[in-house]
Amino acid sequence: MSKAVAAQPSTTLGRWWHKWRFHINVLLLLVPLGFMPKYFADASLFRGDSGLGEREIGIVQVGPWSLKLAEFRNEAPRPDGPAGYMKSFNAALCDTCIDQVKAAYLRIGKPRSLRAAGVIFFGTPYRMGATMPIPDRTKADAELWITLEGWDGSMHQASIPLSQASPATVAWLAQRGTK
Amino acid sequence: MPSRLFKKPALAAGFIALLGVCNQALAHNPMCECKAVEDGQIRCTGGFSDGSGAPGVTLDVIGYDETILVPGKLGADSTLTFKRPDSEFYVLFDAGPGHIVEIDQADIEAP
Repeated sequence: MSKAVAAQPSTTLGRWWHKWRFHINVLLLLVPLGFMPKYFADASLFRGDSGLGEREIGIVQVGPWSLKLAEFRNEAPRPDGPAGYMKSFNAALCDTCIDQVKAAYLRIGKPRSLRAAGVIFFGTPYRMGATMPIPDRTKADAELWITLEGWDGSMHQASIPLSQASPATVAWLAQRGTK
Repeated sequence: MPSRLFKKPALAAGFIALLGVCNQALAHNPMCECKAVEDGQIRCTGGFSDGSGAPGVTLDVIGYDETILVPGKLGADSTLTFKRPDSEFYVLFDAGPGHIVEIDQADIEAP
């Protein structure tokens, strides 16, 4: 029989770890539980079970059409590396205009042209998404412009105040100061 | 023999902490930067936020009256250099409908 005895750690923490190191691995099984509420909240948000987005803005009338608009997340814009800060919105076209609207765009400030109408909404017309850059020089009284392009070639625009579309963004702008 | 990892509590704790540091990286939004270079020229560089370049993508210089002053496409190095127009203008990086970046002349940095 071998008489070799492993050297015992000298510190209290070392001895405690040496004694319990295998047992406390069971605690690792508990780690995922802490993330479950956020996981299920996100899954519900992505599936649409909890509505169009975290904060519904309401119905916006755009010419003969209308759409329901929501902030995807009720929070300040998120940075996307060198592309700057981005903010995501979701939208649902009205039932009667789904067949008539070809594209929907979102922009801060009035678009100069249809070509520069901003970011495009993608996805099903019942639940479209768009991620819009927030320019550095955006002012608190800026307006969010929605452009709808029809299959018949027509174009209709409407705007709502940014403070109505996303109070979290306006608060974030005020906090960082206008550049 | 148990691995070395379990002999070092600090190391084990570090690994566990790392598990929580996974973050999202998904979108590839268009981006464009214009700078004034020598001889009254302007150089614009396009790309996407996932780090990819944009060779061959349309970049037009458009007047405030919506006339296209310089119709261009980015070169193999994702840049385009053009002479600064005399009239008021903006630069439109156009990677397709809804995938655009507008840069107003006021936002173009001096050299």
